[in-house]
Amino acid sequence: MATIDLIDLKKNYGNVQAVKGVNLTVADGELIVLVGPSGCGKSTLLRMVAGLETVTSGRIEIGGKDVVRAEPAERDIAMVFQNYALYPHMSVRGNLEYGLKNRGTPRAEIDRRVQDAADILEIGPLLERKPRQLSGGQRQRVAMGRAIVREPAAFLFDEPLSNLDAKLRVQMRVEIRRLQRRLKTTSLYVTHDQLEAMTLADRLVVMNGGLVEQIGTPIEVYDRPATLFVAGFIGSPPMNLIPAASLSGGENAEALQLGADTDIVGLRPDQLHLERPEGNALTLAGTVELLEPVGGESHLHVQIPGTEQPIILTVQGRPKLEEGDTITIYARPENIHPFNQQTGWRTDAS
Amino acid sequence: MQTKRTIFPNKLLPYALLAPQLAVTLIFFIWPAAQAVKSSFEREDPFGFRTTFIWFENYTRLFSEPGYLNSLTKTAIFAVSVTLLSMSLALLLAVAVNRVLKSNRTYTTLLVWPYAVAPVVVGILWWFMFNPTIGIAPYMLRGLGIDWNHRVDGNQAMILVVIAASWKQISYNFLFFVAGLQSVPQSLNEAAAIDGAGPFKRFWTIVFPLLSPTTFFLLIVNINYAMFDTFGLIDATTNGGPNQATNILVYKVYADGFLGLNIGSSAAQSVVLMLIVIALTAIQFRYIERRVQY
Ligand SMILES: Nc1ncnc2c1ncn2[C@@H]1O[C@H](COP(=O)(O)OP(=O)(O)OP(=O)(O)O)[C@@H](O)[C@H]1O
Ligand SMILES: [Mg+2]
Repeated sequence: MATIDLIDLKKNYGNVQAVKGVNLTVADGELIVLVGPSGCGKSTLLRMVAGLETVTSGRIEIGGKDVVRAEPAERDIAMVFQNYALYPHMSVRGNLEYGLKNRGTPRAEIDRRVQDAADILEIGPLLERKPRQLSGGQRQRVAMGRAIVREPAAFLFDEPLSNLDAKLRVQMRVEIRRLQRRLKTTSLYVTHDQLEAMTLADRLVVMNGGLVEQIGTPIEVYDRPATLFVAGFIGSPPMNLIPAASLSGGENAEALQLGADTDIVGLRPDQLHLERPEGNALTLAGTVELLEPVGGESHLHVQIPGTEQPIILTVQGRPKLEEGDTITIYARPENIHPFNQQTGWRTDAS
Repeated sequence: MQTKRTIFPNKLLPYALLAPQLAVTLIFFIWPAAQAVKSSFEREDPFGFRTTFIWFENYTRLFSEPGYLNSLTKTAIFAVSVTLLSMSLALLLAVAVNRVLKSNRTYTTLLVWPYAVAPVVVGILWWFMFNPTIGIAPYMLRGLGIDWNHRVDGNQAMILVVIAASWKQISYNFLFFVAGLQSVPQSLNEAAAIDGAGPFKRFWTIVFPLLSPTTFFLLIVNINYAMFDTFGLIDATTNGGPNQATNILVYKVYADGFLGLNIGSSAAQSVVLMLIVIALTAIQFRYIERRVQY
């Protein structure tokens, strides 16, 4: 059990700044998900914590102990790799035992831990097989098993589910969550899949270009994205970002109480409505450009005069609308997210 | 499986295209080989007038002849030493280069050069360096109190040919080992590092086992090389001497047949060598079909 502290952590590759100063505290037993677009430095950050990558400047503390100079083996962490990195010439049992043997764990203890891990992950019948005789999902379990037999202070995951098909990914995601809750091991989890991030995380760390954009619970991040980047990155379909100028026509003045520095307004697709809500509301008129039924709900693309991109809204069921229809959409004042284009920051931050 | 098929409009054309290759194989390989097999069952009288068919006498005589048994032993010592020396040095260099990721182009290129040198030239090169009268190596060894004269000392002669033969082969082994090392995923090394294995342990428990297909392939290739491709090298350095100390099988075939003019025995020896090549090739083919499993 341990906390992980990153203090002004930086990493340069030559003159590429991969990580530009990250501060983060992971509480004991917490599952933190690092999410961000490709190349934003998530893996680099995780690998620095693991000790696989040297640190350019800053500090890493695991359980309060500075580990910047420590070997990976001395950090008491276990890592699950994207390609699983199972030792191909060893049986599943061999893979699970390897780390314990290297640490001189007594035989009886090794057997007990391997048996426990095999029971938890239901890989008992696979113990004598070689990795190449396993399916993708089974390999994933073995990789998890190799991490949990060690009973480390922290788990590090680098996109562990991205090689699985969509269905298995959902299943394994649930299992990882359950396992982590049960073992209460401090975890850092890297993914670029925002749905995975939202469902797994105790807290989310949204990264972009080597910097942290926002840290918060998934709901906090969803409800109050701190930057334009987070607003566009979290949520599917993404938040509509509209120039404030195109909205501030007559009847919207009351609903849009925007500060002077607000020039972009964000509207979540699922917080836009076809019926006028009670009280004040932002009102937008436009023409239906596209109607996408996606099962239980539909995505409406509506072209509003004065904006380039159509606004997307999510509506329940299948509205009786056709492409080309003129409609009016509404948003509650509290669901309007104000941003400043220049700084990228939210302007009503409290 | 779908294979590409070419249809020739002219029925004779395919045969015509194959003919040169077939002719070369027949004239330069099958025919001499058949001649050798035939001669190995015959005895020629000293004047070359008459040949008699003597069944397996050449073979039985061969295996009771101390000179041949000596040559077998020397060949085994030579092949094993060359294989071990060249493979272990090549592996060492490959591991070193694999670590220095950036500059490995230059190293690799330099380390590959010896392979382009013909065996005879390699022989002359080392013969020159170790020449007891004018060479640099004996001069330096004398400084260390070692009296180097491979013309007299059989063990020194063996050491010389082993070094010379290995030197050339290191390049070849090195290339394969580097390729093999680069195909071991970096993440395995990282996983093992996290699993508490130091660099040495990682190498022996993870990397080396994963290199086993390469190692096995090279083992066969090197034995083959040491046994059959080193004729020119021996000829240029020691001529099989002193006192038969470096008279390995291929060289003995030549010495007995062309210098000693004992055609029957020489033919029997080459048939034995042929069988060894066939056996090694068979092992290699089996291996290529179902790669070494790990
Ligand atoms: N060994 C390296 N040498 C030079 N640059 C590197 C190296 N490793 C990563 N980078 C650079 O650092 C930046 C961050 O890379 P990183 O692998 O951390 O991204 P990531 O967020 O994990 O992306 P992905 O989601 O694609 O895995 C990228 O711009 C990348 O090009
Ligand atoms: Mg990555």
